[in-house]
Amino acid sequence: MNAAARRLPEPAGLDEAVVTGAEIVAGHDGAAELLVRLRHGNGAASHVTLDAGTGFDLLRAAGAASLDGLVGQPWRQLIKDL
Amino acid sequence: MYDLLIKGGTIVDGTGAPGFAGDVAVKDGRIAAVGPGLTGEARRTVDAAGRVVAPGFIDPHTHFDVQLLWDGAARPALAHGITSVVPGNCSLSLAPLKAKDRKALVGMFQQIEEMPPEAFTEAFDWTWEDFAGYRDAIEPGLSINVAPLVGHSVIRLWVMGEAAGQRAATPAEIAAMQDLLRECLGAGAVGLSTSFVDVDEHGHPVPSRYAAWAELDALSAVLGERGRMLQIVPEFYATDITLARIDQLAELSLKHDIPTTFSPLFDSRFTPDNAERALQRVEAQFARGARVWPQMQTRPIDISFSLLRPSLFFGRLPRWVRVLRLPLADRLAALRDPKTADAMVEDAGPDGGAAMFADLVVRGGDAAPAALAGRTLGEIAAERGEGPARALINLSLEHGLDVAFLAASRGHDDTGRIGPMLASPFVHIGASDGGAHLASFATYGDTGYLFSEFVRASGALTLEGAVKKITSDTARIWGLKDRGELKVGLAADVVVFDAATIARGEERPQFDMPGDGMRYVRDSAGVEAVVVNGEVAWEGGAYTDAKSGVVCALN
Repeated sequence: MNAAARRLPEPAGLDEAVVTGAEIVAGHDGAAELLVRLRHGNGAASHVTLDAGTGFDLLRAAGAASLDGLVGQPWRQLIKDL
Repeated sequence: MYDLLIKGGTIVDGTGAPGFAGDVAVKDGRIAAVGPGLTGEARRTVDAAGRVVAPGFIDPHTHFDVQLLWDGAARPALAHGITSVVPGNCSLSLAPLKAKDRKALVGMFQQIEEMPPEAFTEAFDWTWEDFAGYRDAIEPGLSINVAPLVGHSVIRLWVMGEAAGQRAATPAEIAAMQDLLRECLGAGAVGLSTSFVDVDEHGHPVPSRYAAWAELDALSAVLGERGRMLQIVPEFYATDITLARIDQLAELSLKHDIPTTFSPLFDSRFTPDNAERALQRVEAQFARGARVWPQMQTRPIDISFSLLRPSLFFGRLPRWVRVLRLPLADRLAALRDPKTADAMVEDAGPDGGAAMFADLVVRGGDAAPAALAGRTLGEIAAERGEGPARALINLSLEHGLDVAFLAASRGHDDTGRIGPMLASPFVHIGASDGGAHLASFATYGDTGYLFSEFVRASGALTLEGAVKKITSDTARIWGLKDRGELKVGLAADVVVFDAATIARGEERPQFDMPGDGMRYVRDSAGVEAVVVNGEVAWEGGAYTDAKSGVVCALN
């Protein structure tokens, strides 16, 4: 990556995504999975589904005792540690 | 003289036309006559009074590849009225496969099917390498019909060896794969399956996931020579990627004039627009002339877990999360500590966990006493004089934590939303995964559930419409030449069932896999007789000795 590329700003909105909710959902293989809801800086909403291992890693990265502790956390900070 | 006469039933012929009172006559494995008041002698007569007589059901998404080598009925699929199955899905088939690559493929199959190792070492002899050889190995023992896909991962493995799971193919390798696919199609493969999702037993992507677009395009060109099916597993957990895959399938369908299908497609109350967006995209692509069939299963998704492994099922309970994340020895110690257990019970709410845990079902097939299998934790807790949360902990501790619990219908479970989708002419009912996930959940009985839940309970489909969806629609989509309708001259695949009672039974553990391996199964209800190519293969709750199944002929 050259110096000019390094100076490019982060894509608008993505850097400000925060967790707005977390749900336990049923996965295809019969395991409980984690649905994380996100609100991006540009106002758009999205979600991502994580398997059990990644879900627990996310809780650990957030320092959250349970799913409720994920709400309000900055998404990009959380996934840096995954 | 007819070989078989099914008399006095209501004929639901698979076309969607209203049922009518009549008989079905069979001779030489074919339907010889359909209509009211058929006369003529028959070697065997089946009384179908008060029952529906329909074409045999077709299951387009299974993993019976291994089981078919020792069980030609794909039990219990046949007992549910299924007379034809499509194995070889998700990029994995048992052929073509060089002897040196068997170990690698077994690992992939075990990951998907959860079959015990003995299934691959004791239950059959590997007598084949090419696709024709596998066909020869299964066909003599078949009592169910088979329309096998060939897996993209094994095609890669044959041509590229270990590199199949490491890199994209060269032009020469792609050309060799085309030749091999052509050979497999000539030997009876109904199409090609590929996967963008599956992993092997080490968590590594299966070989098909290393393919570049040019490779899939080249293989689709070979499918186009015969108009055969391309089946894929898209990134179903991410809607936007699934939409992109739908568009890619549409391009392949239009370019090579092939049918395509993807599975699974689920509905979820948590993300209610997912399935709707996928179906809108499918309809838009059909409007362009593409054929992209989403497969949707009928059954809801259950969540299962034990305290042996951390489960997100407890994700809202801080003390449970903390304990279950501990290493096993520490977890056992924590659960045995009265103060910790008390805190966990308190976490579960003032009702002792009744709201959260009372409906859980003890699954059986593990270290729990067999007598508890199928019973709710609420019932068991009451007998023990404990609350459900306490009973969950104590019952698990008493059996080394090897007690599996089931939370039923936690996904794809909104009948009011799913019914209209299943009824859509753009939705292909399938994705049962029959023969897979053996130790996780039962993949049988989806056809019975279609009738009990979506015909009788909700009325989302008519009886005739439901039969059409899993018979003639499926045969047409897959190009099965002579199946799917009760029509003179077609293969005599017939199911006789009671429209008022056809259903799936309760899930239960069964130890009938090689090496006394366990799997979860569901028995059928309301299915009275199943005829495969003119021979009664199942009746009165039992399998017969008929071995009349074949590898299906194609259009």
